[in-house]
Amino acid sequence: MAALLRGRCAAVMMVVLAALGPCVWASCAWAQAAEATPLPSADSSSPDAAFASTMAWARAEAAKGCRPDEPDRLVRIVCAGTLRVGVRGNYRLFGFEEAGTRSGYEIDIARELARRMGVEVRFVGVTPANRIALLGENQIDLTIATMGHTTLRDGQARFIRPHYYASSTALVGPRDLHVPDFAALGGRSVCVTVGNASNSEISLHGGRLLLFDSPAQLVDRLRAEACSLIAQDDSFLASAFLDPVFAISYDTKFLFDQLPWGMAVARDGSGRLAVTLGMLSQIFHRDGVFLDLARRNHIGTGFLEAQQRVWAGAECNEPAANSDPGCVAPPLSTDLAPTPFAASVTGVEDWLGAKLGIHPTLAMFKIAPAWDLVRNGLINSVMLIGGTLAATLLFALLFSVCLGFGGIALRLPVRGVIMLLQSSPVVLTLVIAAAIANAMFTFSATAAMIASMLALGLTNGSYAGQAIAEAMAVLRAEALQQGVSTAPGGASLLQLALRRSIVQIMAFLINATKGTPVASFVGAPELLNALTDSTSFSADRATTYWLLLIFYTLAVLVVVRLCMVLRHVLERRIARS
Amino acid sequence: MTISLLPSLPDSFLPQLMAGVALNFEIALTSLLMGLVVGVPLAFAKLAGKAGRLVYGATVPLLRAAPTFVVMFFLLNVMPQAFSLFGHNVAIAPSAVVALSLVPYSASYVSENGAEALGHWREGSRLAALLLLPNLARAFFVMVMSSSAGAAIGVTEGITVILRQAEKLPALGDRLKLFALGILVFGCLMQTGFVGVMWLRRYLSAKTAGSPALAAAQE
Repeated sequence: MAALLRGRCAAVMMVVLAALGPCVWASCAWAQAAEATPLPSADSSSPDAAFASTMAWARAEAAKGCRPDEPDRLVRIVCAGTLRVGVRGNYRLFGFEEAGTRSGYEIDIARELARRMGVEVRFVGVTPANRIALLGENQIDLTIATMGHTTLRDGQARFIRPHYYASSTALVGPRDLHVPDFAALGGRSVCVTVGNASNSEISLHGGRLLLFDSPAQLVDRLRAEACSLIAQDDSFLASAFLDPVFAISYDTKFLFDQLPWGMAVARDGSGRLAVTLGMLSQIFHRDGVFLDLARRNHIGTGFLEAQQRVWAGAECNEPAANSDPGCVAPPLSTDLAPTPFAASVTGVEDWLGAKLGIHPTLAMFKIAPAWDLVRNGLINSVMLIGGTLAATLLFALLFSVCLGFGGIALRLPVRGVIMLLQSSPVVLTLVIAAAIANAMFTFSATAAMIASMLALGLTNGSYAGQAIAEAMAVLRAEALQQGVSTAPGGASLLQLALRRSIVQIMAFLINATKGTPVASFVGAPELLNALTDSTSFSADRATTYWLLLIFYTLAVLVVVRLCMVLRHVLERRIARS
Repeated sequence: MTISLLPSLPDSFLPQLMAGVALNFEIALTSLLMGLVVGVPLAFAKLAGKAGRLVYGATVPLLRAAPTFVVMFFLLNVMPQAFSLFGHNVAIAPSAVVALSLVPYSASYVSENGAEALGHWREGSRLAALLLLPNLARAFFVMVMSSSAGAAIGVTEGITVILRQAEKLPALGDRLKLFALGILVFGCLMQTGFVGVMWLRRYLSAKTAGSPALAAAQE
C-alpha cells in the first residue's frame, strides 16, 4: 500500500509543484521533512521561469548556510557546486569511457544539465545492476545510464519526465533480405539475447529464436550467418552501424516495442531536484538541445524529433505539461500478474533449496503470462505428438497399401516418393512443408503445426509403410511356397503384415515422437518454443531446459508404453480371430 | 528458350555446401566414437550379471528416449560453453554440441547392438559378431542426416547452407528447386552409404556361409 502511495505521489508531484503549491505536497506520507517545508511559488508561466525560480530558491537556501545533513538534494548540489551523475562506461555512443575520457549522448546531457544549473559535473561509473542502488546510497545525485522507464522501476527511483530518449527493438539483417514487417518473419532464424522482453513477440510471428547471453554475440553471429536476423535494442546496434562494412551489408528492417529512457533521482529528498531536471528536459526537447546532442553522437533521432514537435507546441510548453498524459510518454508497463499458485511454487523452490540444496527458478509457473505460454506449449506439444502419431500411422497404411496392392503404375511413383522422403533430412522435409504451407496460407501457428505433423508423419510413415509392404511380400512368398491362401486363419493380409512388422512400426512411432520438438524449427508453438519464449521472464535457462528434457523424455517413454499395449492388444485380437 | 533447372546461385554456394556436408560427416563420426566410448561398457554391463543388467536397464531406455533436438538445446543452454581443464581453456563449438546431442542415440544403439555382437562372440561365432560393423555404418549414416538439426543453432552444416541460400530466393519455385538439390546431395550420400552397408553385410554373410550361429542370428 505504501509503495502504491509512493508511486502515485511521484506521478502527481510535478503538477503539485508547478500548479497547486506546497500544501498538497506535504500530504504525501513518504515525503521527507524538507520536502514538506514551504516551497517557493514556482513561476508557472513557462518551463524556463519555473526552472529559474526553483534554482533561485535553492541558491537562496544555500546562501543561508550549507549543512552537512542538508535533506534537500537540490540544495545539497548547489552547496557542493557539483552534480554527481551515474553514467555507463561501456555503452558506445551513449556512455563510453576510453583512456580516461568519457563521451556519448548521456555524457553530453549531463554536462549540459550541470552547465545550466551552474555547477560542475562529476561522473561516477555505474552498471545496470547498481545504477538505482547508488542513488539510494547517496553516492550519486542523478543517473543517466541507458535505463528504461518501466512501471516496476517507478517504485525504485523517481524518473524525470519528459524522457530524454526512447529505444526500440530493431530487427537487423542483410540488405538483400526483404523483411518489411512481422508478416515476413515466419520461419526465419532470429538471434536474440536471453531475457529480452521482445522475444515472445518475435516467436509469436513465427521467428525461430536462437538465444545468446550478450548483445555483442549477436552481431558476430549475424556476420557469421548463424542467423538470418538479429533483434536487439536499437541504441546498442547503433554502434555496429558505425562500421562502414556492417552498414553496407546490413540494415534495420523495422522497429518495435518502444521503451522510453529516463534520467532518475532518488525517491527521498529529491522533489525539487526532480522538478528542476524535469523543467530542463522540457526545455531541451522544445529547443532541440536533446536532438542536437543526439545528432552529434550519431544516434537515432526519430523519438527526439517527435518529442520536439510535442514540447514546442503551445499545449505542452508549460510547467504543468510535465505530468500531462497528452504530452509525456507513459512508462512501459511491466506489471506481471502472479499465477494463482505462485505462493505454492515459491514454497516448492524453498523446499528444494532447503532439503536438496538445489535452487531452481520456476518463474514460468509464478508469472501469469509466462505460465500461459508454458501451458499452451504443453497443450500444443501433446496435440503435436498425437497428430504426428496419427499421421505416421495413416501414411504408413497408405504407403503399404499402395506398395502391397497397387499395380506397377502406382507402385513406381510411390517408391519414388518414399525414396525422396528417406533421402531428405527431417529438418529439410519440415522446412519444405512449412514453405509450401506459408505460400498457401498466411503464417500461423496452426499452419506450422499441421505442416509439422504432415512432414514428420510422411518421413516416419514412409519407413513404417515400407516395412509393412515388405512383410506383405514375405507373407505372399511364404504362402506361395506352402501353396496355401495368402490370408491364413481368415485374417487379412494387411492385418498379418501389420502384426509381423509391429516392431518396426513401433520404432517409427517412437521416432516420430522424438522428432516432434523439431517442429519448433518452423515456428510451431510447442513446448520448446514456449519455454524459449518464457526466458524473457527469467534469465535462468538451466531449469527451463531441464524441464523440457524431462517432459520430452517422459513423453517418449509414455509412447513406448502405449505402443507395447497396442502391440499386445493387436496380437490378442489376431490370435482370437 | 532455355529453362533453368536451378535458380542462379553464387559461385561460393557449392564449396560452402560441400564444406557443410563435410561437417555433417565430422559430427556423425564424432558422435559415433563418443557413442562407442559410452555404449561399449554398457554392452559389457548387460552381459556381466545382475548388477550390470540393472545399470543397463536403468540407462539405455533413457538414452533411447532422449530426443536429439531437445538434448541439443539442453546442452547448448545448460552446459558451460567454455571452461578450464587442467589449466587449459576449453571452448565448446556449437558443432560439438550437436555431436554431443547425438551421443544418447549413438550410445544406446551401440550398447544394444554391441551386446548382441558380444553374445555371438562368446558363443564362438566371431563372424556373426562382425555384423556389428554394418550396423554401426548404418547408424553413422542416420547420424549424418540427424546432424542437420544443427541448423537450428546456427551450425554451418549442409542444410544450414541450403536454408541460408533459400532465404535469399524470393520465389517459392526457386526455393523448392534448391531444396531438391539438397535432397539430391543428401540422398546420394545416404543411398551410397546404404549400398555400402548392404555390400558389407553380404560380404560378411558370404564369409560366414554355413555358420549355424550366424544363421540363427540372421533369423
